[in-house]
Amino acid sequence: MSAITSSATSSAQATGERAAGPAIPVGLRAASPVILLLVLGFLAPLVTVAAYAFATPKSFDVFRSFTLANFAAIVEPSNTVWTSFVWSLCFALATTVLLAIIAYPIAYGLNRMFGKWAGLVSVLFVFPLFVSENVRLYGWVLFFIKNGVMDGALKWLGFSGGPEVLYTPGATLFGMLYVYLPFMLFPMSLGLAMVPRDLVDAARDLGAGRLMIWREIELPLAMPGILIGMLLTFVLGAGAIAESKILGGQSVITIAQDIEIAFTYAQNWPLGSALALLLVVIVSGLALFMLSKLDLDRILGRR
Amino acid sequence: METRSQIHARTFVKVWTGFVVFALYLPILCGALAGLSKGRYFGFPIKVFSTEWWGKTIASLEIQTLVQNSLLIAFIVTLVSVFFAFFGALAFARYDWKGRRLFQKAILLPVFFPQPVLGLALLLWFNAIGINPSWQTAVIAHLVWIVPVVTLVIAIQVYSFDPTLEEAARDLGASRWFILKEITLPILWPGIWSGALFAFLLSWGNFPLSLYTAGVDSTIPKWLYSKMVAGYSPMVPALGTMSTLSAATLLLAGGLVIMILRRRQRDL
Amino acid sequence: MGIAMISPAVNDTETDGEAAARPKALPVLQLVDVRKVFGDFAAVDGINVDIREGEFVTIVGPSGSGKTTLLRMLAGMEAPTSGYITLRGTLINDVPADKRPTCLVFQSLALFPHKTVGENIEFPLKVREVPAAERKRRALEFMRMVRLPDHYYAKNVMRCSGGEKQRVALARAFAYDPDVLFFDEPLSALDYKLKKVLEKELKDLHRESGKTFVYITHSLEEAMVMSDRVGVMSRGRLVQIGTPEEIYTKPATRFVAEFFGEVNSFPVRRTADGGWTQADGGPIVVAPAGDDIGEAATVIVRPETMRFVTGPSSADNLISGRIYNEYSLGSRMLYQVHAGERIYLVEVARAAAGGLVAGDTVTIGWDARDAILVGD
Repeated sequence: MSAITSSATSSAQATGERAAGPAIPVGLRAASPVILLLVLGFLAPLVTVAAYAFATPKSFDVFRSFTLANFAAIVEPSNTVWTSFVWSLCFALATTVLLAIIAYPIAYGLNRMFGKWAGLVSVLFVFPLFVSENVRLYGWVLFFIKNGVMDGALKWLGFSGGPEVLYTPGATLFGMLYVYLPFMLFPMSLGLAMVPRDLVDAARDLGAGRLMIWREIELPLAMPGILIGMLLTFVLGAGAIAESKILGGQSVITIAQDIEIAFTYAQNWPLGSALALLLVVIVSGLALFMLSKLDLDRILGRR
Repeated sequence: METRSQIHARTFVKVWTGFVVFALYLPILCGALAGLSKGRYFGFPIKVFSTEWWGKTIASLEIQTLVQNSLLIAFIVTLVSVFFAFFGALAFARYDWKGRRLFQKAILLPVFFPQPVLGLALLLWFNAIGINPSWQTAVIAHLVWIVPVVTLVIAIQVYSFDPTLEEAARDLGASRWFILKEITLPILWPGIWSGALFAFLLSWGNFPLSLYTAGVDSTIPKWLYSKMVAGYSPMVPALGTMSTLSAATLLLAGGLVIMILRRRQRDL
Repeated sequence: MGIAMISPAVNDTETDGEAAARPKALPVLQLVDVRKVFGDFAAVDGINVDIREGEFVTIVGPSGSGKTTLLRMLAGMEAPTSGYITLRGTLINDVPADKRPTCLVFQSLALFPHKTVGENIEFPLKVREVPAAERKRRALEFMRMVRLPDHYYAKNVMRCSGGEKQRVALARAFAYDPDVLFFDEPLSALDYKLKKVLEKELKDLHRESGKTFVYITHSLEEAMVMSDRVGVMSRGRLVQIGTPEEIYTKPATRFVAEFFGEVNSFPVRRTADGGWTQADGGPIVVAPAGDDIGEAATVIVRPETMRFVTGPSSADNLISGRIYNEYSLGSRMLYQVHAGERIYLVEVARAAAGGLVAGDTVTIGWDARDAILVGD
């Protein structure tokens, strides 16, 4: 009964004068610019990628040839491409797990402890998103590099200098943790905000201990937000490239970098497309699966 | 009324948050230091501070072009994305229509997508249909992921908008346009401003999409990257710091405007 | 007010003689077989009613009875699936809300949160491009009418109390100068005391303004206090419409009778001699005859028409039982009395109760004239 429809649609059902016009719902009309953008700027490129993935290797014969050679090349053991896949997915997974642990206390603090400071702390975590990641990662290079901030400071204090951490797989992982922290933190915080205080108080009143409250009340109710954070982190982590290039010194080649090489230097669009398609299938499959389980109205609108 | 363990937990959370915030800003600080040190090569502790590299950066014609490119892209992206996202947000959160649930999920996909891969896919697509990558294609690439983000930002405001206000205004004789001008827009202003701020800053700082889709045109993050790979120049941290400071200034100014808007809505 | 539609499907019932004698009695709103169907669910299922000029009509019904849908159709926010709604003889089925000379006071009040009290009231005047000075003068007039002090003109509407917000909403509706005002239970969120005050004020305002009010609520009590006529809705239909007196003393169905609160009800059967007997064969109930009622019916006895009797009594019906529990209603007491398998409710003045408590054995009496016979 309280269905929110514009008065135009609701009266259109009975009005001859209006029913004559095109019966496009207002919602669809409002969504159409965005839908157009998504079709032309997101769906079309993905379709192109999919089409190229089945074209003859090292050619531009899209739609004119069909072959699985590109996929065969990926799984071929002599080729090292598949190791990039493994590295990327492992790093993404590690980033997700570690960030969940790193971000949880902060998300908890934002919701329960910081009070009027929560807004300011949030801004502090948002702001780095507006500084391009290569600038921020480069700051870490200046920190870790020989004679850099850490090394120099240690020497100045009389130590023999800092350890060599730059240009290792560890540095890549560190860079990913650094870059993707906000993507874990904010959905997680949104999730924790969905846990009514009353429930926690009620559970305590009923004699539940802290661990029990956390396991039985807070965690399950905050789960949608936490899952979004983990999904976002994993997906972005799987496509990471700047971290390994700037901090990792290419000690690890990520899958995104392999795609880049195929698209640019190697001019092997079909191979790059096949790689991209595989990544997209993994990433989108996961994203669609998890998004289909979530009620966005509830998470964003708290209704 | 706090138990000992609660105090411990509180202290831990505060210390941990402080530590992470420090780590978040440490590299930005390192960059600022490097940009302000005299000499061609960076070493710590810094021996002589100077604004020499700032001066050189500001004077560079090449960099002026970059700034113009970045500004132009960010402006267009802001205008277009706010327009798209305003209506997108209404479709997302306000109207009840058949495809709404699907739309809500579809719009999230570009956000839940690795940007380098998106940039490369767009590059392939532009090439396939014969468009030469330039700053204009970079605008489109930025829009593909900024419009969804801005839509979400505005949608959150739309959720708190009571649709009966529009009905009441209509019942009192107001036309669609009058309602939009007098009721809907004024109430959604804070959300729209937040969205615009997000759009500008995200476009300003975007690196992966610009890298692959801007063609021969360069933006600040793209240029910085090319210099980083090529070797060290103090202009890199200097320009990086300037870019960061501009973003911070804009965030502060924009945040202030939004705060005033919200306050005025509350207090009148 | 720009109603473009012509061709009234229903003829004006106005006849010259009557119109001259009772100008107030003209129907301003007529509903003929109005239906609203959502999918395969009929929210409003054939409503026929005439609402007269200057009348205060309240539609009561439980949630889901279709009263809100009905009101939204009257206000122009939904179009009926079938049937006719006419305003002063003009078909308005498809006239949108902004083109109707009617105004709805929403349950949420729908005050514009970014505008002051004055700006809210001036809104309909601003729509009509009334000059600012004139707007302010009229807004202040309306504020005085609803008893809001002048200095509230520049006050943030969200800083007003619940009662003040009601008045702002009312003033805004009056500023639109509608022919008919609709109310979607605007008092439901207020506390009891304030509600009572505003109910009276609303009725006064109705008298002073001479406008037609159509009010919906789920509270029959609210309806009784304010209205000239009360309509009771159930499952999309108007079960009964009449004066508060008629609704109380002659409820058409058990549903209407029970809407006032819990009642004592007895299923009865018609006997061969035209009298009535309880369906389960219990003690004989003496009830007034009802000709239009079938073989099976229900006798309703309100708790307040039952009494406790001691010694010989003139009561037509007597039942012995034991008090199970007592409830204080302030000046009156409500008793739950168990007699055999049945439970009776008896409401008496506190003084008349004589300090009865749970466990006491009592005799309940009631008169045949207080029994209401209704069809099922």
